[in-house]
Amino acid sequence: MIVEHLPILNLILFMSMALVIPLLRRQPFKITLILGFIVLGLVSVSSIYLLYHVNQFDAIHYTLGGHDTRFGIELLVDPFSALFTTIIVLLASIIYVYSSGDRTEGIEPNEYGRYYVLLFVLLMSLFGVLYTNDLFNTYVFIEILSITTCALISIKRKREAYSSAFRYVMMNELGSLSYLFGVALLYMATGITNISLIGQALQTAYETYPFNVVIALTFMMIGLGIKAAIFPFHVWLPDAHSSAPSTSSSLLSAIVIKVYVLVLIKILFRVFNVEILLDLNMRTVLLVVAGIGMIMGSVFAIAQQDVKRMLGYSSVAQIGYILLGIGLLSWEGLRASFFHILSHGLMKTALFLSAGEIIYYKRTRRVNDFDGIGFIMPVAMSVFSIAALGMIGLPFTSGFISKLYLGTALLDGRQVVFLGVLIVSSLLNVMYYLPIIILAFLKNEKYQYRLTSIERAPSTMIGPLVLLGLLIVLLGVMPQPIMQLIDAAVHTLIP
Amino acid sequence: MTILQDVVDNINYIGAIAVFLIGLRIVVVHSNMIKRIMGLNIMGTGVFLFFVSIGNVTGGMAPIVDPNAPGVTYINPLPSVMILTGIVVVVSVTVYSLSLVIRIFETYGTIDQEELSQMARRNHHNDR
Repeated sequence: MIVEHLPILNLILFMSMALVIPLLRRQPFKITLILGFIVLGLVSVSSIYLLYHVNQFDAIHYTLGGHDTRFGIELLVDPFSALFTTIIVLLASIIYVYSSGDRTEGIEPNEYGRYYVLLFVLLMSLFGVLYTNDLFNTYVFIEILSITTCALISIKRKREAYSSAFRYVMMNELGSLSYLFGVALLYMATGITNISLIGQALQTAYETYPFNVVIALTFMMIGLGIKAAIFPFHVWLPDAHSSAPSTSSSLLSAIVIKVYVLVLIKILFRVFNVEILLDLNMRTVLLVVAGIGMIMGSVFAIAQQDVKRMLGYSSVAQIGYILLGIGLLSWEGLRASFFHILSHGLMKTALFLSAGEIIYYKRTRRVNDFDGIGFIMPVAMSVFSIAALGMIGLPFTSGFISKLYLGTALLDGRQVVFLGVLIVSSLLNVMYYLPIIILAFLKNEKYQYRLTSIERAPSTMIGPLVLLGLLIVLLGVMPQPIMQLIDAAVHTLIP
Repeated sequence: MTILQDVVDNINYIGAIAVFLIGLRIVVVHSNMIKRIMGLNIMGTGVFLFFVSIGNVTGGMAPIVDPNAPGVTYINPLPSVMILTGIVVVVSVTVYSLSLVIRIFETYGTIDQEELSQMARRNHHNDR
């Protein structure tokens, strides 16, 4: 059956696209763009079909080279990986359309090709990380992911980009090696790297070698924590995300760090299981780390003058929300954090892209220079406002729904203290998002007579922004269809 | 005596962890970028040594099956194979970060991270 080969075909499509771009000689930008649209379209179609297939019928197990899963690599497409690969490819297509419009701000014209090579290798590794059902293979894909993300930051020929990319590559590599050390310890205890098989063998391994298993969990959590910018390890994120081109920052903030969180979820719930985690008292650890991150990320964000650094710190806080849902180790909590991964992905993409458009035309990144911009660039600033209100958690935005689910999950888990933390963090969000909206729409009347001023941006930049704004509102008004898919995904992790 | 015996039996693992920690210290403490990259490589070597040691079987042979000599114990080749991949990965990361260091040296004229952050702070100050 062809369906079984679709996951590997997706990976091959991305990889061959990345290989074809350097071979194109003339008019690379146009042909590259068209080919990229075709590839993204094909992969979107096949991901959506896979999502439909695994939800209607059975999960797809695909063994590379036909080896036994004890020795070989297995790709597993279940409602979990199918859902998130679909979300990633759709978000990436939106960002791709935008990047064709702003010609990826700050990149030399002869490096567009290289940018798209990196973009497609990045997408390949994102898909690989989610599809693969093998711990060591995950490590390999994670390394491809970290090299390409670092390269996407340093592609901008700006001074700060190099030093922040260097700091990023160092932190990333510390994370990868800690993760690999954890894999080694688990391999020592069980003798396999296949995630499903380890999951079955781990209960006995935990009884015979508790020391190995606990240290493995610690190393893997620290490693993935560094990469996902979970609070005490977030130091690299604001620099890295703010010095990258706007399209890269939105990719990194909206997608890449979430994928590391998804790997962490896979490890916590598939390799380990809820009983072992409760036995090790991981619930308290995760909840406390998440709570501190939610507060501190927002506090740091308030102090920022640069809009992109502010958005970066806001991502640190939002990762805290996602971790809070995971830390409950319950069905409701995981459901809430999955929804928040999606809604934060949409909102952060919208924020970075609209801020990117404003930076592109206004040549300013300082928050204080945003006065009256709502009259000069109405579309960009409206989308920015919708997404910012979503971040705060106002009704009729997707942010409200995710906070609602998170709040009810916290009440179900009897964690009232953390409900308080959630509310305080939301209020802190108000403190740094609302002033920008007020500044842009209500201050500085001298611009108001210019109501007719039309945005100069091409429709390929405006279109994705409008689409993102609509999606945020749509998800806030009727989350039910997507919740069914999320429920199916959660069922594969917590039976 | 038993402690000594334990140490001798597990010398590979202890050595691997020691190498890992030495590398970690270099990455965290030093501010010279080349030294930090070297530290990463040392850390990686520690992990690889650990991984390969898991596959070792005392008295085992290299896993090349000889039909004339049945009943021979072989070492587990799988960790070694995985580590081949791991070495390639670390080499590519090293290449990328070294090329980044070249770019940094070209633009800033230094490869010391402390000097770099001082320069950045000074620039920031001048901008204001």
